[in-house]
Order: sequence, then C-alpha cells, then structure tokens
Amino acid sequence: MSIKEVKSPLVGDKYFKVKHKSGLNIYVYEKPGYNTTYAIFGTKYGSINTCFSANNGEKITVPDGIAHYLEHKLFESEDGDAFTKYAKTGANANAFTSFDKTCYLFSASQNFKESLEILLDFVQSPYFTDETVAKEQGIIGQEIKMYDDSPDWKVMFNLFECLYHNHPVKIDIAGTVESIAKITPQKLYDCYNTFYNLNNMALCVCGNAKLQEVLEVCDRMLKPCEDVKITNYFEDEPYEIVKDFAEQNLPVAVPMFNIGFKNKGDKISTSKDMASLDVLLAMLFSSTSKIYRELQEKELINQTFNYEIFEGEGYSSVLLGGESRNPEQVYYSVKEYIKDLKENGLSKEDFLISKKAVYGDAVSSLNSVSAIANNLMDSHFNNREMFSYVECIYNLEFEDIEKKFDEVLDYNNSALSVVR
Amino acid sequence: MNSISREEIANGVFFNTIKDSRFKTTKLSVTFALPLTKEFASVNALLSGVLTRSTSAYPDFTLLSKKLSDLYGATLGGYVRKSGDKQIVIFSISGLDDKYAFKGDNITLDMSNLLCDVIFKPKLNGKNFYEEEILQEKRQLKDLIDSEFNDKRVYSLNKAISIMCKDEPYGLSRLGTKSDLDKVTGEDLYSAWVNLLQKATVEIFFSGENGGEVAKSTLKNFFSSYERFPVNTENTIISNVQSVKEEKEVMELSQSKMIMGFRSGVASPYNDTMAMRLAVAILGGTAHSKLFNNVREKLSLCYYCSARFDKTKGIMTIESGVEKENIEKAQKAILKELDDIAKGNITDFEIESTKLSMCNDFVAVGDNEFGMEVWYLSQVLCGEFESIEDACKKVQAVTKEEIMEMASKLKLDTVYVLESK
Repeated sequence: MSIKEVKSPLVGDKYFKVKHKSGLNIYVYEKPGYNTTYAIFGTKYGSINTCFSANNGEKITVPDGIAHYLEHKLFESEDGDAFTKYAKTGANANAFTSFDKTCYLFSASQNFKESLEILLDFVQSPYFTDETVAKEQGIIGQEIKMYDDSPDWKVMFNLFECLYHNHPVKIDIAGTVESIAKITPQKLYDCYNTFYNLNNMALCVCGNAKLQEVLEVCDRMLKPCEDVKITNYFEDEPYEIVKDFAEQNLPVAVPMFNIGFKNKGDKISTSKDMASLDVLLAMLFSSTSKIYRELQEKELINQTFNYEIFEGEGYSSVLLGGESRNPEQVYYSVKEYIKDLKENGLSKEDFLISKKAVYGDAVSSLNSVSAIANNLMDSHFNNREMFSYVECIYNLEFEDIEKKFDEVLDYNNSALSVVR
Repeated sequence: MNSISREEIANGVFFNTIKDSRFKTTKLSVTFALPLTKEFASVNALLSGVLTRSTSAYPDFTLLSKKLSDLYGATLGGYVRKSGDKQIVIFSISGLDDKYAFKGDNITLDMSNLLCDVIFKPKLNGKNFYEEEILQEKRQLKDLIDSEFNDKRVYSLNKAISIMCKDEPYGLSRLGTKSDLDKVTGEDLYSAWVNLLQKATVEIFFSGENGGEVAKSTLKNFFSSYERFPVNTENTIISNVQSVKEEKEVMELSQSKMIMGFRSGVASPYNDTMAMRLAVAILGGTAHSKLFNNVREKLSLCYYCSARFDKTKGIMTIESGVEKENIEKAQKAILKELDDIAKGNITDFEIESTKLSMCNDFVAVGDNEFGMEVWYLSQVLCGEFESIEDACKKVQAVTKEEIMEMASKLKLDTVYVLESK
C-alpha cells in the first residue's frame, strides 16, 4: 500500500491519495470543523461501455442501458436493499450512472464507519436472479418514460444524434424499453466481473472522517482483487457531424435549444486544457460577453442561456443551451460571432477578468464536501490531479487561450437541436 | 467553528451575523418580507430583476457583469419567493474571501458596497426607472413564468396549490401573472421600490469570517435614512375541509402526475411542528419511507412518490409520477399508508430510522456554505429561532402517540391529476 500527500499552497488544503493493497484507489480529503462526511465509491463504467473484452478474451456486446440497470440491481443484495441498511445509520444515500461512470454515495453526520461498511459491502456483493432482474423492468421503464417527457433531456440527445455517427454517447443512459428487455442475470455478471474490479474503481471521501478511519474500514472490508485488463471498443467516429439540425415537438411554453460544436475526440484533456477551455468559454459566452449582450438586446435569449464542455472517451464538444423564440437566429448569430473572432482575435481585457471569475469559481467549489469528492473521482478517472486545475488557471497566459481557440469551436462542424 | 448573533439595526431591520471560518467564501443577503397580494406580486418580482440589472454606478448589465467577474466571479442575485402568505424579495451577493485574492484585492468590502448600491442606488430617471430596462426584465420574467410550465413536476405542484388555496394569498404565484406584469409602469415600480424600503420587515444575513461589522454599519446608515413603518403579516391557517376538490388536465405526455394536498391546522409559530414533520417524513420523506417502500417498491405503482410539509401553512403535499391506468389504485394505496400511521401501524424501526435521517439532514445543513442562512431565515420569517442541536433534541423526543395524533389531523383537501393522453 502506498500513501501520498497532495497539497495546494494556493488554496491551503491537502488530500491523501492511497493505492490500497486490494487494488482500490482511495482519496481522503479531510475537512477540519465539518460535521458531515461524504463518501463516493465508483467504477469507470458508464452507458458508453457496451462493447468490451476482459483479459484479451472474446469481445462482448451488451444491451444499451445495462450499466444503469446494474446500478439499480446492485442496490439489492441477498439480505435486503441498501436503503434499508442505511436507515440504521441515518446516512443519506444515493447512486447514479453517467456516460462514463457509475457511482454509489452517502452523506453521514454520524455512524460514518458503519455507513462506509454498508457501501463497500453491497457494491462488492452482486446478486442477480431471473426474478429480481424481471422485477426492475417496470420501474426502469417508468424512469425512461419520465425522461421522454423532459424537454431538456430530449433536446440534448437529439443534438447528440446530429453530432455523432457511431459513438454510444448518443444513446440514452437508461437505454430503451426494448433494449432493457434483453438484459439477463448472466449479462449483468459479465459486466460486473469486468468493470467492478477494484483496480478499475475509486473511493473518494471528504469531510469530518480521518484517513486512518477510512483505511481501517477498507482493510477489513475490501476483498483482494485480481486486476482485469479491460479493452473498450468504439466504432470509428468521423470528425464530421451527421446533420446540422434536429427538431421535436413537446409541450413547452418557450422553445428550447442546444447548439453543439464537435471537437476532435482523440484525447482526454489535461488540467491545463480544461483551465484554458473554461476561461475561453467564459470570455466568449458569459454575461460579460459581446454576444450575450447582443442576443439579449435582440430578445433572442433569456437568463437560461448556458455553456459547457462535454467530453469523455472518444467524444468532445462545446455545448450552448437555453430558451429562445427564434433558435435558428441564435445559431446563426453565434456562428458569425465565432467566425469574426477567429479572424480578428480575442480581447486581453476579457481574458483578465474571465480568468479571475473562473479562478473564483474553482476555489469556491472547495467549500462543498460533495463537490470535492465528486471532483476527485472525475480527476482520477481522467488521469488528472485535482489541485492542478486551480494552479493552471492561476498560471494561464493569454497565448494559452489563443492556442485553445484554434483547436475548438469549428463553426463548420456544428449543429442545432430545437424542442418547440 | 460557527456562532450566530442577531441585532435590530433599524425599525424592523435585523442584522444576523453567522461567523464561520471554515469556508472560502463570504455572503451577504438582504431579505424583504411583504404581504403576498395579487396587486403587488408582479411588480415586486419585476423589481428584483430590474434592481440587479444595473446601478447608478454601473449603468448597464454588461458593466455590472464585468464588475462581478473582476470580483473573482462574485454572484449577485435578485429573487422572489413565497413564505406562507408572504412574498419574499431577496438580494444577495457572494464570493471569495479576501485571503484567496491574487494580490491584496479587498473583495468582501467591494461586495457589500455593491449590494448596497443595488438596493439603494438604482439607475433612476427622476422618480422613474428607465423604460428599456423594464422591458428587458419583463421579458425575462415572462419567460421564467413560462418555463415553470416546461417542467411538469413544478407545473403540477404549483397548479395543485393554486386550486387548494384559491382564496388565500398562498395560492398566488410568487412571480405574479403575465397579464398583471404587462400593466406595470415605471412609476408603479418606483413606488414599489419605496414601499419595499419603508414597509417590509427586513432580515439581513452575513456569513463568513471577516467583513460582517463593516457591512452592518453600512446597511445601518442606509436604512436609517428612511422613515420605516414595517408591516407584519400573519399566515392564515385552515384546518377544516368541507369537501375534496378534484381537478384533472390532459396533456401530450408519457407519464401522468398526481398531486394530493392535505390540511392539518398545525403550523408555526402557533404550534410546535416537529412531531408533524416527523410523521410526514415517516410517510414519504426518505428513501425508506412508507410511500417509497410500499407504494413504489412493493406495489410498483409510481416511479416517484414523496411527501413534504410546509410548516408556515400546515399543508402537506404528496407528489407522484404514475401510469394513467394506476392513478386510482395509487391514490387508494397512498391514503392507506397515511391511515396506517394514524392507527399506529408504525414499527419502532420506522420511527427511529426516520429520526436519525432527519437529524442527519439537519446537521448536514450546517456544513453547507450558506446552509445556516437558509436554516435561520426560514425560522425568523415565521417567528422562530432554533439551533440545529435543539431541533435534533426535539425530534428525538417525539413519541409514537404524537405521530399517530399528527397523522390523524391530516385531511385530504385537493387532488390534482395531470393525465397523459
């Protein structure tokens, strides 16, 4: 077992990074004076991992939505469901599946060790039978229907259909009623045995708990685990988009839109890439920007206007979203705006204030135990050191932003999705 | 770690200081409470937007945004909420503590001055606001009213409350209506602004390590320059139900929603509401509640099914997402769970685990950067002032008999169904 201390002189905090003898990666970020502890246990396995092999064995393709289904089923062990176990400790528990990871978490202000035992125990104890698997179809079917009624969910996935030819990121995380009907206990075990090996997982703890308490429970509860060599297969994804427009009708009062600029998805961003891109997007699209003002004055957007970076293994894009009575005009104006800036250059004054704002957000996020633990998990799965992001913002130069701008926001490789 | 102090700095204006050194940020908020009325709901909502859009020193929103960005991305907010039969207008600013600034920037002082400018020194044209600013904010507010329609969970809950409380201020929208908004003039807005400064009761919260004293004296000076006649609003509490109101609406959706509203007559500050809050949590406030375990998990009747209690009005609402053909079954199953509690069909485990879970949530509030503000604000608005520790002790002391008694007081008032086509 190895323990490393990672410090940030800039924010005055530190965390411990542990490679446990069982193979698990453990992060502990102590927060003196806090009363609660947040713990999150996750695997680098999400909705996009539907084609894979273990230890160079045969290539397996599993139904869409299986990672999310597995998350629901793991909550149930042979001796009852996890919520009932947590009821004895008072911890507030939950779980979620995203495109590239599945996580189980709790927040506790008392009985921390007991709650951590429950978490480590049930995630390591799969129990899938024909009956239990069949029972979940109804509940997940309802969940899929609820998302079908959600305009912000639909407008986003319709955009992914425009941007991606083959990448599974365009498929709903929960799958479809038809795809989940094909899930069997054996398929769940295939996925579990591949991705839920401790070497492919991380435990991140932040708050009142101390490193020694965490390790004491881990030593007792973690079952030694052979490392599995995982290979994920993705069909080749061309750089070009599929189509530049999608539209759907749903009952909405104000039409909603998403605009996506597809980037090359060939590598995962470093901390410096993330820092540069965050500052660039704040310069270009925050409420201080020229386009924000122009679109507001023309009554084309309202305060729901937003932007984000969307990336993972094999996909990367910049997304803009919001409500508009004329989304086509917003899309046109944004493309013209980017085109103009690509020709005439960025403003140094915008860079200086945006850098301060992004730095302020990054430091402020260290107030929250859940934000910290989630960030540690994301950083681990993407091979980044959490504190280096803040340090990178602090050290950013205008030239870094100019370079990043050359790599992203290709207005000829973008699409618009509308729900009205 | 943290401590709270409270002081009246002008007639009906209270300054609450939460001194806490654990966080990397500070926050200052000024909350104005007024009676919620059809006449003023829209104009107050509009005021919260217009005042946070520009000030006399930063006369347009790009300049104001740039100032905030320069203050390390400080967040300026103007919101309206509903607390019982009151409308709450909140102005707040939050951002980094000075010790994280690049080089000697005084962020905290700048932030409190900026918030005072927003409230007391708006960009005015004599005794009027500028037309262009008003038009832009009217549009934003109308879109916000419309967007509450887009989210069908929010929409159905608001609709149920408006049916249930159609003769009480609580039945009004915190944002007012689009047609009332159209009628608002610049003069109306100006007099609403003066009204806010003179007649509202005001609760100010500072949370952070340093800067509270300066903010206090600045705000004291500003409020002292106004003649103040604060109005106190009492919430109407209804405990009797004559007949159950039922309403249905049909829309192009995949999943139906059902909202059930109940009245109890048990409300703050007239009654201690802790036993009621526990009873409602046992019914549907946790992931091991009766509604979750029985109606969702065992009977598979709903995708979600949860209960919450509003202590200002003594009202419980139960929200559920159901298949169209299961609506009636789900309604019966929900009422049976409530009846079970009233009859005493509750295990010790259900009681103890819900108490634990409520305390866990209370304590977690104290670790949230602004949780203490939310905790105390919700209390002072209905005349209470209770620490987290005391609340935990109180919930631990509730007996099974009290829980049964509370459940028996909950009377079904309204059922609203949003049905899929």
